[in-house]
Order: sequence, then structure tokens, then C-alpha cells
Amino acid sequence: MKRSKTAALLLMSTAPLLLTACDRNESREGLYTSVEACVAQTNDRDTCQQAFAKAEQDAVATAPRFASREACEANYGKEQCAERNDGANHSFFGPLMTGFFLSQMMRNGAAMNGFNSAPAFRDSNGGWQRPAAGAGAGGVYRGGAGTGMVPVNATPNRAVTVSRSGFGRSGSSRSFGG
Amino acid sequence: MRRVACAARPDWRAKAAECGFGFHTIDDAPYWDESAYYAFSLRQIEQDIEAPSEELHAMALDMVERIVGSERHMQQLAIPEPYRDWIAQSWRRRDPHLYGRLDFAYDGSGPAKLYELNYDTPTSLFEAAFFQWQWLEDQLARGQLPAGSDQFNSIQESLVEAFGTIARGIARPFHFAAVRDSAADQGTVAYLRDCALQAGIDCGLLAIEDIGLSEDGRFTDLDDQVIGCLFKLYPLEDLFRESFGAYLPRAGMQLIEPPWKALLSNKGILPLLWEAHPGHPNLLPAAFDDGGELPRGWVRKPLHSREGANVAMRLDDGRTLATSGPYDGPCIRQACHPLSAFDGHHPLLGSWVVGDRACGLGIREDSTLITQDSARFVPHAIVEEARGVLIA
Repeated sequence: MKRSKTAALLLMSTAPLLLTACDRNESREGLYTSVEACVAQTNDRDTCQQAFAKAEQDAVATAPRFASREACEANYGKEQCAERNDGANHSFFGPLMTGFFLSQMMRNGAAMNGFNSAPAFRDSNGGWQRPAAGAGAGGVYRGGAGTGMVPVNATPNRAVTVSRSGFGRSGSSRSFGG
Repeated sequence: MRRVACAARPDWRAKAAECGFGFHTIDDAPYWDESAYYAFSLRQIEQDIEAPSEELHAMALDMVERIVGSERHMQQLAIPEPYRDWIAQSWRRRDPHLYGRLDFAYDGSGPAKLYELNYDTPTSLFEAAFFQWQWLEDQLARGQLPAGSDQFNSIQESLVEAFGTIARGIARPFHFAAVRDSAADQGTVAYLRDCALQAGIDCGLLAIEDIGLSEDGRFTDLDDQVIGCLFKLYPLEDLFRESFGAYLPRAGMQLIEPPWKALLSNKGILPLLWEAHPGHPNLLPAAFDDGGELPRGWVRKPLHSREGANVAMRLDDGRTLATSGPYDGPCIRQACHPLSAFDGHHPLLGSWVVGDRACGLGIREDSTLITQDSARFVPHAIVEEARGVLIA
């Protein structure tokens, strides 16, 4: 079959049996430096332990790879790198996992079953990073697309807005369908 | 490939209203048109559309690698100097991309010919991915299509999968933005947001005009939160030249489509592809325009025109067709390969690529050779011809 097996809409549809305004799905995500910090926030030790274990496992596959300890330490700081092996007798150096992400879908303020987790690394400037999209590849993306690291802000930043409407001028008179 | 007249679903307007498809009629003219559909064989879809789309997509990504290493190419594509390093960095980081649409001239025989890549702000997405899919399911159930008919359309499944794949690489808060007063663009971002939510990504909607700037040059939403990632249904080249544009390279805001897409949504990619792959069966000869008189059998297109605007076409017989519009600046030339006519209609095939997968088709039909924003969306089906029957 060359078409989607099913195609449903969550918010766009007005049909019944789908999610309603008082039953919205949202997600909660946190970056934690330890299982204890995670438990303090979420009150869910089992999930925190599982998330940590999965992140630690993923870290070997998704951490950036360096040919030498020096190159790795230049990016991640002294004593922050370890030698690893990819299972095919290729060894390399990668940063140690310094934290982990946990994200869960929420319903009516309570976490639903299941979670996503990912390892977090801290570069020598103190900035947090996570593996970028598609690390591991397969599926809709070819290998090679998005296997780097991306910076993250663990907490949303606020900033005082001093002006708006600096974008959108070209758009008032036309559509962009291309 | 055939154009088949077909009774519209009696309740299609109610169905459109139910799923928030408000722009099926634009300025009293039909946009969604299910009074006919295009029928393809599976072989036509797989060999003539799907496979070439994946091949051309891979060729285009390879070309990005070459362009970011070449000041000359950046110049040819008229990429403003302050954005070049930023674009190159976004490619070297492999900032995640979501989707694109390749436009083909194809009539069922011979190789499909690439007109252009819509790799930054492709629209007609909801119609292709969702409403066209629902049309097929309904018409199958009503017995209006041959039993076993299919459609080249796993676009929605692929979108949800793509969002799920890149979810970890999307900075938060994540907003979808489009021009406030465009019903079609607002409908498209509402749909994409729906797909992102289905992949478990928390995200919001924002009018492009409402984006704010902080004192230290970061972009904010209406709650003064610094925007982590912005999906913008708004041309990159327009962002570049508007008053907030200068802040983009240092604002730290992730963009989808990413900055490197500015190199592919640019018609300058067409001469570069032709130069790298001369004679490729799915490419038309193309060159950068020197401004001279357009010879017979050539088309002139601005690097950045959209919706068929500002295109000039000089046919083999010397006749000239031209469309007006707001675009100017450098142009390219492309060999003229006019769209075939089906009952007086000229279909242009939009082949969707989500992530790196060719996964669907949407057809726009116009009464003229240059497909413009007035072109109607007509659904399609894959219909296997009965064995032993010869189609004239």
C-alpha cells in the first residue's frame, strides 16, 4: 500500500471522540544531573531510574566521537572523556554523560505511561548539549542527516521584548505556496 | 495516466468544515476540485515519480555540500553576504529539515521533468496529505473507484515519523509561525502542528508578525519567552531582508526549514544541478540568465519567484507567455517543456519528500501553461489496469 494506513487529526478536527480542550495533551521535559534530582522533581523513582539507564546506554552510540583524548578534552574539559569501543574493534574517545533528559506526555496534569530519555553532555564552556536528531538513523531520514550535537536550554529563557513586527512585511500581499 | 471524471462526494464541504479545511474555495473560485481525478499505474508512480524524486533529492543535498564551500556559488544564488557563514554552519551541523516538494511535468510517458524544488515553504500540504487521503477512503467506500485503488500518499505518516525522529533535536519552546491573514498558510501550519503533537512534541502557534526582539538580540514569543525553535512558513529570503533579519545569525534561534534550505529553494539550484549532471533524464537544461532576449524554447524565472509569478515563457513557435508578480532580481533560464493538456487542463505534479523519503503526490491543475496560485487541487489514485486490456 502506498498510502497512510490511517490519518487522524488531534486539534484541527471538530469530530467527536478526539481530544477536547479540557483533555489536552502536553508534555513535560526535564534535564537532570542525577536520578535523585529527577525524583525530587517528578516523584517517580521508577521512571527516573529507567530514564537514566536508557540514557546511559544510548550515550555510547550517540556521543560525539574523537580520535584522541586530547581532542575530546579540548571540547569537553579535562577528565571529562573516556575511551570507548563501538563493538567492531574501533575505539574512540567520547565525553562522559553528565545528565539526562526525561520527557513524558501529560494528561490532566498527570504523567502518562511511557517516556523518552536521552543523554546530556556538558561542553567545556558549561553549555549543555544533546545528540541531534536522527542519531542512529534509519526510517524517514537517511544516515548522516542530523548526527551532530545541539545545544539545549534546560530552562526556558525569558527576555524583555523591546519591539515586534520586524518580520512579516513581505507577506501581507501574497501567499508562499511555491 | 488518465484524467477521470468522477462524482464529488455529496458531503465533501461538511467534511472539509469538520477537519478545519477552510480554504477549499478561494475568492469564490474552487480550489479543491474532486469533479475529476488523475489515475496512475503503480509502475508510473514508483518508477517515474517516486524513484526520480529520491534521486533528485539526494543530488540536491549533495549540491548543498558543494555550494557552502564556494563563494562563487553563493554569489550566483544571490545569498546576502551576512548570511553565508550562518547558512554554511547550519549545513555542517546538519540542522534538521522536515519536508520539500519537487514539481514535475509528467503525462504518463517519458521521464518526469523537474520544473523546480519548493524546499523552503511548500504548501498544498494539508490537501495532499490529509484531505486527498480522506477522499480516496470515502470514494472507495462509496464504490466510486475501482476496488483496490490506492494512492501515493504516506505524507502524514511520514510527517509524524519525521517529527518523532527530530524531536530530540528541536529546541523548546517550539512555535509554528505563518502570516496572520493568510487562511491557507494558517491552515498549513495548524496541520503541521497537529502532526507534531501526534509525535508527542509540545508546540504552539504564533503569527510571524508577533515575533518579538529582545534588547540583547534574541527572538521572543508573546509571553516574552525566548523562542527555541521556529517553524516558519515564510520564505528565508524574506526573513533575510526584513528589519529583524540581521539578528538571525546570532540570535540562537533554530529554524525549520533550516537556513541551508535557502540554497535549495532558490532556482539557481537548477543550473547548478544541470552543470553537475548534464543530460540527466529528469532535469531540463538550465543556465543563469544573462538578461538578453529570451530565445525560443526557453523560460525565464526569477531566483525567488513563488506560485508561478514573474515567469516568462517563449514557446517553440515564438509565442510568449508571461505572468506578473512582485519578484525581481537575478533570473535563470530553463528549457521550455510545456505541460501536457488533459481535457484542456494542465496538471503539474508535486512530489513530496518528508525527511529524505519520497512519500506522496499532489496535483495542481491550471488552464494555462504556467501554474499559478489559482490552480485547483485535483486528487489522484493508483488504479491497476485490468490485465489484457490495451489502453489506447
